[in-house]
Amino acid sequence: MHVRRHNISRRDAFKLLGAAGSGLALSHWLGAGAAFAQQKTVGQTIEPFTGPGPNPHWNSIGPYATEPQKAPLILLTDRPVQLETQRSYFRMAFTPNEAFYVRWHLSEIPNRIDLTDWKLKVEGNVNKPLGLSLNDLMEKFKPVSLAAVNQCSGNSRSRFQPRVPGGQWGNGAMGNAMWTGVRLRELLDAAGLKAGSAQVQFQGLETGSGPKGLGSNLFLKSLGLSDSVLDEALVAYLMNGEPLPMLNGFPVRLVVPGYFATYWMKCLTWIRVLTAPDENFWMKTGYRVPDTPRGNTTPEEVKAGSVKTVPITRMPVRSFLAWPDGSSKVPAGMSVTLRGIAFSGYGRVVKAEISEDGAKSWREAQLGEDHGAYSFRTWEAPWIPKTPGSYTVAVRATDEKGNTQPDELVWNPGGYLWNRIEKQEIVVGKAS
Amino acid sequence: MKKNFGMSAFAAGLILTAAGSAGFAQFQSGSYGSTKAAGIEQTATAPMSSDGNFSVASFPSFPPELAAGEGKAETESFCAMCHSTRYITMQPPLPAATWEAEVNKMTKAFGAPLPETTAKKIISYLQTQYTPESRKQ
Repeated sequence: MHVRRHNISRRDAFKLLGAAGSGLALSHWLGAGAAFAQQKTVGQTIEPFTGPGPNPHWNSIGPYATEPQKAPLILLTDRPVQLETQRSYFRMAFTPNEAFYVRWHLSEIPNRIDLTDWKLKVEGNVNKPLGLSLNDLMEKFKPVSLAAVNQCSGNSRSRFQPRVPGGQWGNGAMGNAMWTGVRLRELLDAAGLKAGSAQVQFQGLETGSGPKGLGSNLFLKSLGLSDSVLDEALVAYLMNGEPLPMLNGFPVRLVVPGYFATYWMKCLTWIRVLTAPDENFWMKTGYRVPDTPRGNTTPEEVKAGSVKTVPITRMPVRSFLAWPDGSSKVPAGMSVTLRGIAFSGYGRVVKAEISEDGAKSWREAQLGEDHGAYSFRTWEAPWIPKTPGSYTVAVRATDEKGNTQPDELVWNPGGYLWNRIEKQEIVVGKAS
Repeated sequence: MKKNFGMSAFAAGLILTAAGSAGFAQFQSGSYGSTKAAGIEQTATAPMSSDGNFSVASFPSFPPELAAGEGKAETESFCAMCHSTRYITMQPPLPAATWEAEVNKMTKAFGAPLPETTAKKIISYLQTQYTPESRKQ
């Protein structure tokens, strides 16, 4: 539907202009309006679902919703809460807390925490179990700050072909923040690991209504004590210099730099040292990927039961074009700046490249400030599309280990580890 | 470009305002949709005291409209015991076998207390309404 605002009738217009005797001009004016009336100008609501093909949009297609302490974000589910961050926030290195995506597993998530009662427990196979208040964490241990990307294992799951069930994320299940807190190792040292310790398990305040002992009752994640990522892990009480939003894990959450977010336990309350590998659902069944390059397999191999899996760990290198986002045309000949972010769980991004011809030829983009190996790194590249037409802009990143994003699909039944080169159609219109 | 000799200052001003500079620039304005778009209400700040309680408001519910059909009532009541039925509408259209596997995951891996006849009814509902061949909404 479309309505013209200057909705004066031809006769009224003549009355207005009659004194001036400019009928000629007026007829041109109204004539032009009639021609414009053919254009469709009102945006349509996005489709209610995508598939069986891949989601063609950058983000998921849910409605916007406002949850406590959050800006309107894209709703995936309301109970438990899952929200996706809009593309426009990825023009900058740090994702604002109120825009940071949200992903919970079980429906009972905290609405209220009493900090006079709450304690972070360090327990299990330790010499001296600890119970630390938030104040203890802030005052008795050295604060450490670190920029790190938190990305859902299933980010971009809606790209998979064939589609797989699960949270149908677009690309916005990720964010970068400056995390401040206590080194996990310091807490473990303070408690003192006993001989025979194998893993450390993390439990937050979320619970589900399922039976005890099942994954629908508790969400638990564990890391091996020999995993060097523990040396970099933090128990963070500040996110971008502010208390964490409840939905992002107030009062403290685990930060596991370079690893997917599944380990970044929100509302972390129990750190439990185990003497045997954790066999709970979220380790033994959930969040596992094929033990193959890029976690690739096929539906046939899965059906045949021949796929060996391992727990998901580090995030493969990725990069994103935040702007232009394809929602508007760019005038031919105008100098614009392509911009976005890149990151890798394997170390710092050392190169971002852009292509204007659908990933055939590449040129290097300018990298922004280096905020650390596990941070988003912004990139930008000037672009002057000289001739009108449709352009496929692509971006790819390379990390310090030499990993470069490929242009090939990923498929596994969990919908994890997607890191294909991103492409965006940009329409360039005539400017003269 | 047309020149409007003899026009009064008033008329020239009107033309300039309404149709762009000096003549009849190709533009259109004032297109408003006639349908009511859904807005997002702002939320008020809850009262606070200086005790140790840190709280947020209830998380809002956005129940989706499930497709009409046999088994809808069972699907709404049993699935919603543990999670929003947005978990269904969020999915892409999935093959019948995948829906069966999903419901079996809920009962076997997650212990959802579904009587076998109910589980079958829910599987059948999802297979009737939410496959690539059948999904409408």
